[in-house]
Amino acid sequence: MMNEYTVLLQQVINGLSLGAMYSLLALGFTLVYGILELINFAHFNVFMVASFIGMWALEALGISGQSVILTGLPLVGALVFAFIVTMTLAGVLGVVIERLALRPMRGVRGTAAMITTIGVGYILFNIILLAVGADSKNYPNPMPNVDWDLGGATLRLREVLIWTIAVVLMVGLHLFVTRTRLGKAMRATAQDAEAARMMGIDVDRVIVTAFFLGSALAGAAALIFGLYYNYTSFIIGYSAGLRAFTAAVLGGIGSVAGAMLGGVIIGLIESLGGQLLAVRWTDVIIFSILVLVLVFAPSGLLGRAAPNKS
Amino acid sequence: MTTRRALLAQLPAAAVAANLALRARHVLAADKSVTVGIDVPLTGSDAENAILIKNGAMIAVDDANASGGVAGYHIDVMVLDDGTTTAGQYDPAQAAINARKFVSDPNVVAAIGPEMSGCGKAMAPILSQGNLATITPSSTNPDITDPKFAPQFRPAGKAIYFRTVTTDAYQGPDMANYFAQTLKVQKIYILDDGGAYGVGMANAFEEQAKRDGLTVLGHDQLDPREADYTTILTKIKAIGPEALYYGGTSLAGIKLVKQSYEVLPQIIKAGGDGVYSAALVKGAGFPAMEGWYATIAAPYIAENPDVAPWIERYRAKFGQGPTSYSFTAYDGMLVILDAIKRVADAGQPVNHDTVRDAIQSANLKTLQGTVSFDENGDIKNRIVSVFQCHQNEKYPVDDVLHQFKYLGVAPEIT
Repeated sequence: MMNEYTVLLQQVINGLSLGAMYSLLALGFTLVYGILELINFAHFNVFMVASFIGMWALEALGISGQSVILTGLPLVGALVFAFIVTMTLAGVLGVVIERLALRPMRGVRGTAAMITTIGVGYILFNIILLAVGADSKNYPNPMPNVDWDLGGATLRLREVLIWTIAVVLMVGLHLFVTRTRLGKAMRATAQDAEAARMMGIDVDRVIVTAFFLGSALAGAAALIFGLYYNYTSFIIGYSAGLRAFTAAVLGGIGSVAGAMLGGVIIGLIESLGGQLLAVRWTDVIIFSILVLVLVFAPSGLLGRAAPNKS
Repeated sequence: MTTRRALLAQLPAAAVAANLALRARHVLAADKSVTVGIDVPLTGSDAENAILIKNGAMIAVDDANASGGVAGYHIDVMVLDDGTTTAGQYDPAQAAINARKFVSDPNVVAAIGPEMSGCGKAMAPILSQGNLATITPSSTNPDITDPKFAPQFRPAGKAIYFRTVTTDAYQGPDMANYFAQTLKVQKIYILDDGGAYGVGMANAFEEQAKRDGLTVLGHDQLDPREADYTTILTKIKAIGPEALYYGGTSLAGIKLVKQSYEVLPQIIKAGGDGVYSAALVKGAGFPAMEGWYATIAAPYIAENPDVAPWIERYRAKFGQGPTSYSFTAYDGMLVILDAIKRVADAGQPVNHDTVRDAIQSANLKTLQGTVSFDENGDIKNRIVSVFQCHQNEKYPVDDVLHQFKYLGVAPEIT
């Protein structure tokens, strides 16, 4: 039996794991929106495709189901390999989508580009459905079942790993955006693409970078999803993607720090809301927040007051 | 293909005459044909079981056609898919469209399906208006055939929804009796997946559990398209039940099995025929599946020596073993073919009206025993079989007949 406080502690642990995943996924929406003012709905299914890439990467190492358990260096090696492969290929997928489907739409006014992303999302969805079938897949998990008892609540090794990986990636992204030339170029383009171009910034390169980074982070989120739930299927994009999108809006779409914060908040709302109210109400709560933020505070928690564009 | 003219040019006249005579007879036989529909979710997470079920029915049709048809009728099959990518599993809206297709085709005389009760609820009123009988091999929600809901599901009056399985009015409560009498648990928690089948099953279980004196600590709902159930499972852990009962299908079931293995490793876990599923065992895998209890709404016949050759034939034909509802689908198709035969033998026109009446009066020896229906379409035999999942490494993980161990018949409600 758990007392009231350990239950809440356990739900905070659950919520932070969800939050880590939503944050990584929300960053992809925010990076692209910040630069193109485009909501990339294909991102949902880039995440879904990436979960399969991660599964195949692990299976290529001979890890399938829950029968192969690794420890120490082989575990680190397998995870690093899987993350590198998944993030790279997911990033490439994002770049390919940008190059084939969205670049021709550049400069087209209105919602054409956004609708294109919905179409691309459906194409990915159906390709995976046809390629791997509709049944849910048993995701490989080489992590040993190590856990710690925190006065009744359980903290598992995989949760610690997930948080660590998420924090490392987010710090890495922050350093990239604030400290590198390309990161500076990204920020400049986000502020004013026209002026940035006049200053000699290669805007196309910045856009490709944003798609690559956003999709690679979705790849990391997808692998985390698979390792955490030991499951994937062709339909996982929607519920995770919509929540991550809500997280991005809540944090202030376009704001990198906002996406991280929004993800954690949505994750905690999901787990604590489910505990304190009923689980069937969590969607109502989360999407009410989406509506309320859009109506009353469209710039979100950490967003810019208004896009600096004409 | 050889044309008739080429044959004439190449073959002696006698051979041609014989050939033509044969062809003529064949053409005559093929002229007389009727169609039987099959509606199962071939898209989405239910597809794997749906194919196993459909294959069971197809054996009966192929046997009949191989032996020259039924009373001179060649049996055509119209297979419709009620799964959609938007639902990710069975989709009642698609099932309603399929029911209209069956009803509007005058050649369709009866159907097998649907697999899922949610689809059954959508199809029954349409089939009733068209007076077209369907036999479901697996959908167990009792409302569809309950006379109380006749205005909703049977507006035209006659029974059109027949079953070769019993209903959750027995499956759920019998399992509650098993909890109380055999497993001897006291405090339980109930989850369902929000679908017609899952909710009905969980509610029927809950009512009987209370009647049996069990303490129901809570009853909550899982969203099948959601990935994370750790929140609800943590909540359940804090309440501390001895057993968990799940009413639902594999889409939510796989995630429930996996995550409850992590969060609630100690307690007894059980479900209905939604858990007795190839897709679920394959998706959830071992060790998470180990120890789960499940039921089916039919007698367990797979170890019956009379049935062994049928299982072998199934395996040889489709390269994969059957599931328990492959048997009931085969039985259902036998009932339809028998009905067609009786109608034709009586010299009546073979159509959906006559075949429905013949199905209503069926009394046929099938794999599971003699099948006959009450006036609502429910099978008279009401046996619920209980299983427990134990990994059998000699067989593929999705071979449910071998991954579940038969424990016996659940205590019937009185």
